[in-house]
Amino acid sequence: MVTLEKNIKGIKDVLTSQDILVFEFQSSEGKRFAAIYADGIADKQLLGELVVKPLREVKKDAKLDEVKMLLASPEVKDCKKIKDGIAEVSDGNAVLFVDGEKDFFIIGLKNPPGRSVAEPPTQITLKGPREGFTEDIKVNLGLVRKRLKSDKLHIKMLKSGQRSDTAVAMIYLDDVVQKDLPEDVEKRILNNEIDLIPDSSYIAQFISKKPKSLFKRNGTSEKPDIFCAKICEGRVGLIVDGSPIALTVPYILTEDLQAAEDYYAVSYRSTIIRILRVLSLVVGMFLPAMYISAQLFKIQLIPFQLLLKISSSISSLPLSPSVEMFLTLFVLEVLNEASIRMPKYVGLALSVVGALVLGDTAVKAGIISTPAIIIIAFSAICLYTTPDLVETTATLRWILLIVSGSIGPFGIVLFTAFIICYLVTEQSYGAPLLAPFAPVVKSDLYDSMVKANMNKLNDRPRSYVTRDKVRFKAK
Amino acid sequence: MIKKLSVIIYWAILIALLALFFTNDFGLTDIRKTSIIVAVGVDTQDGEVQVTAQLAVPQPSESGNNIQYTQVQGSGLTVADALNEINSKTGFYPKLLFCKLILIGEECQKDELFKVLSCFYRRNYSELTALVAMCQGRASDMLAMPATVNPETSSAILQVLSDELEKSANVSYANLKDIAETNYSKSAACYMPYIEANKPGTSESGGGDSIGGDPAGGSGSGGSSGSSGGGSGESSGGGSGGSQSEGSGSGSSDTGGGQEQVEFTARRTAFFSNGKFAGILDETQAFALDILKNSIRLAVLPFEVDGINYTLGMKNANGGIKLKVDKGVPRLTLSFKAKAQIQGKRMTLDPHDVPFDDTVKQSVLEGAKKEIEKRFSDLVKVCAETDCDLLGARNQLYKYNNKYFDAFNEDLLTRMEVKYEIDIQSIN
Amino acid sequence: MKICTRQICFIMLAYTVVSKILVYPTLLSSLCGRDLWFPALISFAVQAMVVWAVSYLCSRTDKTLFQLIEGTLGNICARIIYGLFGLFFILGTLMPLSEQKLYVHAIFYDTVPSLLVFLPFFFFSVYAASKKLTNIGRSADICLPIFVLSLVFIFIMSLMEVHWDNFLPALKTPVKTLFGSSLATTYLFFEPCWLLMFMGHFKYKKWDAAKITASYIGGGLIVLFFLFVFYGIYGEIAVSRQFAVSKISLFFPAIDMLGRIDLVALYILEIAMLFALVLNIQLAVHCFVKCTGWENRNALSVIVNGLLLAFIIIFDNKYNDLSIVFGKWMWIVFLLFATVIPLLGWTMKRRAK
Repeated sequence: MVTLEKNIKGIKDVLTSQDILVFEFQSSEGKRFAAIYADGIADKQLLGELVVKPLREVKKDAKLDEVKMLLASPEVKDCKKIKDGIAEVSDGNAVLFVDGEKDFFIIGLKNPPGRSVAEPPTQITLKGPREGFTEDIKVNLGLVRKRLKSDKLHIKMLKSGQRSDTAVAMIYLDDVVQKDLPEDVEKRILNNEIDLIPDSSYIAQFISKKPKSLFKRNGTSEKPDIFCAKICEGRVGLIVDGSPIALTVPYILTEDLQAAEDYYAVSYRSTIIRILRVLSLVVGMFLPAMYISAQLFKIQLIPFQLLLKISSSISSLPLSPSVEMFLTLFVLEVLNEASIRMPKYVGLALSVVGALVLGDTAVKAGIISTPAIIIIAFSAICLYTTPDLVETTATLRWILLIVSGSIGPFGIVLFTAFIICYLVTEQSYGAPLLAPFAPVVKSDLYDSMVKANMNKLNDRPRSYVTRDKVRFKAK
Repeated sequence: MIKKLSVIIYWAILIALLALFFTNDFGLTDIRKTSIIVAVGVDTQDGEVQVTAQLAVPQPSESGNNIQYTQVQGSGLTVADALNEINSKTGFYPKLLFCKLILIGEECQKDELFKVLSCFYRRNYSELTALVAMCQGRASDMLAMPATVNPETSSAILQVLSDELEKSANVSYANLKDIAETNYSKSAACYMPYIEANKPGTSESGGGDSIGGDPAGGSGSGGSSGSSGGGSGESSGGGSGGSQSEGSGSGSSDTGGGQEQVEFTARRTAFFSNGKFAGILDETQAFALDILKNSIRLAVLPFEVDGINYTLGMKNANGGIKLKVDKGVPRLTLSFKAKAQIQGKRMTLDPHDVPFDDTVKQSVLEGAKKEIEKRFSDLVKVCAETDCDLLGARNQLYKYNNKYFDAFNEDLLTRMEVKYEIDIQSIN
Repeated sequence: MKICTRQICFIMLAYTVVSKILVYPTLLSSLCGRDLWFPALISFAVQAMVVWAVSYLCSRTDKTLFQLIEGTLGNICARIIYGLFGLFFILGTLMPLSEQKLYVHAIFYDTVPSLLVFLPFFFFSVYAASKKLTNIGRSADICLPIFVLSLVFIFIMSLMEVHWDNFLPALKTPVKTLFGSSLATTYLFFEPCWLLMFMGHFKYKKWDAAKITASYIGGGLIVLFFLFVFYGIYGEIAVSRQFAVSKISLFFPAIDMLGRIDLVALYILEIAMLFALVLNIQLAVHCFVKCTGWENRNALSVIVNGLLLAFIIIFDNKYNDLSIVFGKWMWIVFLLFATVIPLLGWTMKRRAK
């Protein structure tokens, strides 16, 4: 006969931390129980309400099945191995031992501290749902389930991180997704061994076939409505515990030019906004480079009147045009980085110091010219029209700046051709990154630079393989 | 091995790029080593070319609004040689890419036009959109004159050469391309505006008012102010060359002394045949040329009918030049079509007649037609006398009646019959 | 399949045009004046027939050219012929590469820069040439919209200045000169060879031959229209206007106000030009891979580009001499490889589809 103490010892020998609490109690007839849980991440109130209170009525000679019947918790699992119990306690659930029984129960009481569902700061919308993912995988899965009630929705729970044992939920629609895709993704996640998965970006690197590339190979989203739409398009979604950013594969570059609101607004407006976004992206990346190219190599690129103004602004500067622009961009990046990292109240002061004091004084002191500041500021604003691509585009802006300052406008064109040449054959799980433009996928063009009316978007994306091709039929 | 090599190559490229980026010295002339030439004046003297470049010199300013204009002179055997001297004087590399005006001094009349202009046609040296004009006196003097309408002389000159004025038949607009294209065509004739500087308040380019003297001679200008009488023939005659250069010489010395503000006009037109200066069209002849060659939005025609002076505004004007060989005779048709409206009339107007006064009476229309026909015939006469095919008759003969080209080319301008088709209708 | 019919059509349309709007119009106007369109018409008509013949051959076999030659003349012969084609593609790149270098110097830089600024092209070329045919096709997908947008923009800016009577009187140039001009510019025509290399690498569907030929004819018509616009603007002085595409939009009224906005279109068009230029190098590498059986495309790309780099360095500032040599002597080679050999494809043993 296994005593309660022996079972408790089995867990406490492994989980020696003091936040692993053991709560022993007995029924009115004297049947003894012990609940083990991790303080702070298990819900004690639920333990009292759903476990301790109902078990008061247990008879002294009650069997395990009878005990289970009395438990009011909706999430009760039988368990035989202490090892599994240890994992569940670490995960935030409680283990319930019954005196005299070797087997035990896992009670789902996980309630780690976390924020409530709120609008994600990076994907704010005027129209459409405002819910965003949180750090809690359960909440996130709930947000997905709320939108996709299909019986074909598959959620497969994986574990990654040797020491963090982080839960990763792989989500897909079984009848839509490409047949081998979930297995492929699962294999890539499980093939990597790492101590800790603090964020989904780690998983993003695991699932990428070219992790060193400047261009990402997976889509990201903080909004469940976007995430679910991508799942419906035949993608595999990944939600990682502890991260509010969900991942999707396959990925194509145009995804990041699309915003949730495009689908909730009139298609004409969405098309204009998308074209604007593309133009902003191009301007944001190329403007600083073109500006110094024009000054150094091809003055004709600048209209005459503007040229006179620029010449006047820079005529007394001690720096060359390229170094001036380098310095201005450097200051922008520093301010950007500091304003994100600094505490809010310091950040506010910093933005004032950065924008007013640094900028204004630098111009007055004749170190930097006004056009340079305008160009860099405009470039920064332009890039943030597509926040998901900022990491890539901001890096490209640096490269273009160096190339243009050293080789000139031909360098810019050459580098652009190089990037095109690189991107046209790059893929993410069979989806060409530049689809639907290269290769041209006619039906997908309706939801690329232009956003056609819903009636035109009958088919799921054809840029990658899906099983069920049709997503919309007007009756 | 290959991976290591590619890493080394990447690093080498990066270091090379950074080195180029920060050292910033590629033997190229960037914006700060460049002087922006906005206008160029070309004069010739004793076989040398003197180039006066009007430079925009940006001054340090936060707002970027502080631009000063300065003039630098250089001389040499060619324009490029002279520009090189400017380079050595200023330390800036002179770029002609933004040069919008090429002003040719009167002295250049002695030279072949393309000896002076050829430099500007070199590959990527200057844009062919630059306007070309000949000026009264020396170009360097004219560029130094302070203008009333614009503090910057070249801008003031460009204002009187604008395409708006071209569309009102007030200037014979010509850029480098137009000049080369017409000069190298079968007609081998080209024209350009003739710029004159006047004291403020004296709008006409007539004799004594002209600051730089009157290059075309008093008789020519006299003809231009009123009707285009016989004076026009004299003004554009080949023999006027000598007196023009003298006039310009004295004119320039006059201007050099006092920095009085002037107004520029470009209502007369210098013309060239086979690359050589052939004369200057007076105002009325230039007007005739303009309404035939350009699309006119609104041209103003002053004339006299029954002792009353009228000013007629002509809208939607269309001019045309057509040459046909009919029964072995080359016939040139000069046509002009327009809608007219009275803009001014020198007589007292009865207030009751005001609503109907815009309507042009048939007799007035006939008067206008006669006036235009007279101007056309003057122009044709000048062309014949100087053998300068300004109207492009030889070109038309070559293009549309090619089989007669060899037969008629030589004496076409004197041989051809000229027909005028003028249709002016009242707007109301 | 590595490439699809649509991509071949794009190549035939866009790359044909961009490789003939730099020096070709100036060269033709110096040879035939206002009749410059006629030699171009002859060249395009002949090449279009060969393109049709090759694309029709594609409908009769699913073999690649290498397999066709191998099946008829044996493996060694196939390797030799592919080696010769590799050399031909290198030869065909020489003049366009020299043109491109001069063009880059002219439109990207105000003052004459050193040769150094063009050399980074070879980094791009080494990278692109090491890629397979899939890359060529997909690059064409991107290049077509780039080409269309920028060229339309340039045309819109130019059309107002065109004097259509600059072409009169038509066809007064002696016939010998007209045909001679066509022969002298043969070194710019090698499109049928591109198609030969794509043979067997795309899935032939009904009407594909017509589509490919129509695309080529479309490209030819655009070039002819371009010649009309160029000469229509400059007339007699067209001879002195090099790099035609950069010259035709200069007279657009808005340029006064906005500056050289046409340069932006030209820079965008340059991307398509670079891909068109690199296509020959890519195909040269493709041929050498087949010829040597050596699958290391990177190494072959480095070797081919090394040769071209040496050429560019040696013949820097000798463009005029080169164009005389190519115009006078090389037409035989180009006629053989771009016209005769593609037609000989019909004599090879082909398995019925």
